[in-house]
Amino acid sequence: MTRQRSERTWICLSLAALVAAALAPLVLAPFYVRVGQLVLYSAALGLAWAILGGFAGYWSFGQSAFIGIGAFVGGLAEAELATAPPALQFLVGLAAGSAACAVIAALLAYPVLRLRGIYFAIAMLGVAHVFAELNNNIDIFQGSLGLTFPNIGIAGLDPHVFYYELFLVAAAATLLAAWLIRRSRFGYGLLSIREDEDTARMLGVPTEHYKAAAFVVSAVIAGVLGLIYAHSLGYITTGSVYRDDTNLNAIVYSLLGGMGTLIGPIIGAAILVVLTHVVLGDFLDFHMFATGLLLVLLVLLAPSGLVGLARKLVGRKKVRR
Amino acid sequence: MNLILQTLADGLVLGGIYALAAVGFSLIFGVMQVINLSHGVIVVIGAYLALILSRLLAVDPLLTIPLVMAALFVFGYAYQRWLVQLAVERSSLLASMLLTFGVALMLRNILVWIFSPDFKTISPPYAFVHFHLGELTFDLVRVSALATSLVLLCLLAAALHWTRFGRIVRATAQQNLAARLCGVDARHVYALTFGVSAAFAGASGIAIGMVLPFAPPDEAFWTLNAFVVVTLGGVGSPAGALVGGLLLGIVNTLTAQYVGPAFPNATMFLILVLMLLVRPSGLLGNAFSPSR
Repeated sequence: MTRQRSERTWICLSLAALVAAALAPLVLAPFYVRVGQLVLYSAALGLAWAILGGFAGYWSFGQSAFIGIGAFVGGLAEAELATAPPALQFLVGLAAGSAACAVIAALLAYPVLRLRGIYFAIAMLGVAHVFAELNNNIDIFQGSLGLTFPNIGIAGLDPHVFYYELFLVAAAATLLAAWLIRRSRFGYGLLSIREDEDTARMLGVPTEHYKAAAFVVSAVIAGVLGLIYAHSLGYITTGSVYRDDTNLNAIVYSLLGGMGTLIGPIIGAAILVVLTHVVLGDFLDFHMFATGLLLVLLVLLAPSGLVGLARKLVGRKKVRR
Repeated sequence: MNLILQTLADGLVLGGIYALAAVGFSLIFGVMQVINLSHGVIVVIGAYLALILSRLLAVDPLLTIPLVMAALFVFGYAYQRWLVQLAVERSSLLASMLLTFGVALMLRNILVWIFSPDFKTISPPYAFVHFHLGELTFDLVRVSALATSLVLLCLLAAALHWTRFGRIVRATAQQNLAARLCGVDARHVYALTFGVSAAFAGASGIAIGMVLPFAPPDEAFWTLNAFVVVTLGGVGSPAGALVGGLLLGIVNTLTAQYVGPAFPNATMFLILVLMLLVRPSGLLGNAFSPSR
């Protein structure tokens, strides 16, 4: 009874938040619209990471590989159609980019997902670096020259606002996908893998296929986000999409918000992006130190994230009553 | 023929230094399964300490090794005992990895404040001397850095093998619980191991500083490098680090010479991934905990 009701409350709250977020650019200054883009992009990335990392407990350190593949394969496909209308180009790029991510992720999934824990994390870091280096050094990918992306905006609408809304659609779709996965048999299978993979397997959960499916879904979403991000920048090189700080941040969002929850990565991304871009924007010398300090404090003081902290406080209150 | 021999020789010299830079990382990973992402920054700190000390005392940079090692041993002990261990106990091993990354960012930022982001070098008076052996050319600096690395690695291997401290460290790595039942204070041993690891990282920083220019952002390279060396050679032993380091050095120089100067990094990571898939415990591996 209560569970159904709380689910309904959550859906209503999310829809209200969605509408509020969609209307926000009307009142926000252009700079904050750009920050809003980054918040939505990061939240969606964090959620995509959480489908594998949060639910199944496989912490990937190489999510940027798929952001880069999505952006570069999509961009190269779009460049082939340079004369077509921009919206069509974007759709073709989206199809090409996500297909490339799906195929590469499916090929990587079975060998890489045999590794566990730290070994998996490191293998993914290696994978991301291999793709980054190849992208940068093989001429046909134009990683070091850079790729230019056509403007796909709608005439009359400020491009910043357009990309903001596009990121919002992507983030909402990611949240929907993550939510559907979380409440499905597949999602419970992923959770059981996180709790105890061997036992789950013994009880008949197809762990190999579930992990691979989660890996592919997470990769495709990252690829789509990468392509949108590349469009919002207009021009990218290897360094703008294959970034180690993206690899790290995808994890930190969940860690800050709450590992394995849906709201966690969103809260984490919002706090971290606003903190680094708005609060610390004027202190560039101090930036790295502050990020490092935040990480250290986070691990020591709130190991289960803000959601965990909140739950603990609420739980205490209930007990007192 | 001459070219390939020279390339191999350069690779071996480079590899010896890689091995020393990675051995501490390997020890920590082997003993407490902690991935120390601040390893690289400790290497770079070692280089800066040697730079200051050798100017201050007006001595050869290699003579500052004992001082640098002592200072970093104390740092490493305190760092593990009061920071990393807390993270492991309160959270998880993976979270402790994030903690060390945070510390690396902070230390790197501090280094930039103190020393500026510019490249620095430690050049001893014999910086440009080289000699010939048959048809091969060797720089004296590189060879002395390599010799230092080998001597230190042998000392560490001997200490781990024959001293009481070494036996305790190996026992804790193999069976934490059993070692504790025999009266080993595991936390103290962990902190000691971390201290030793930091000391050797610092010493390798000196060798690196003599051979290559260095700057604070290099720390990321040395951490990744340690990773690859350890996955190649095997966790937890100086011999594994030596094998991994030498192999990596040779692979790097060979790729740079015959495939293209832009490709050593790609090959390095490709080897990392392949090794993890085929033999995650490394060539000489004795992984005490399973990877899969």
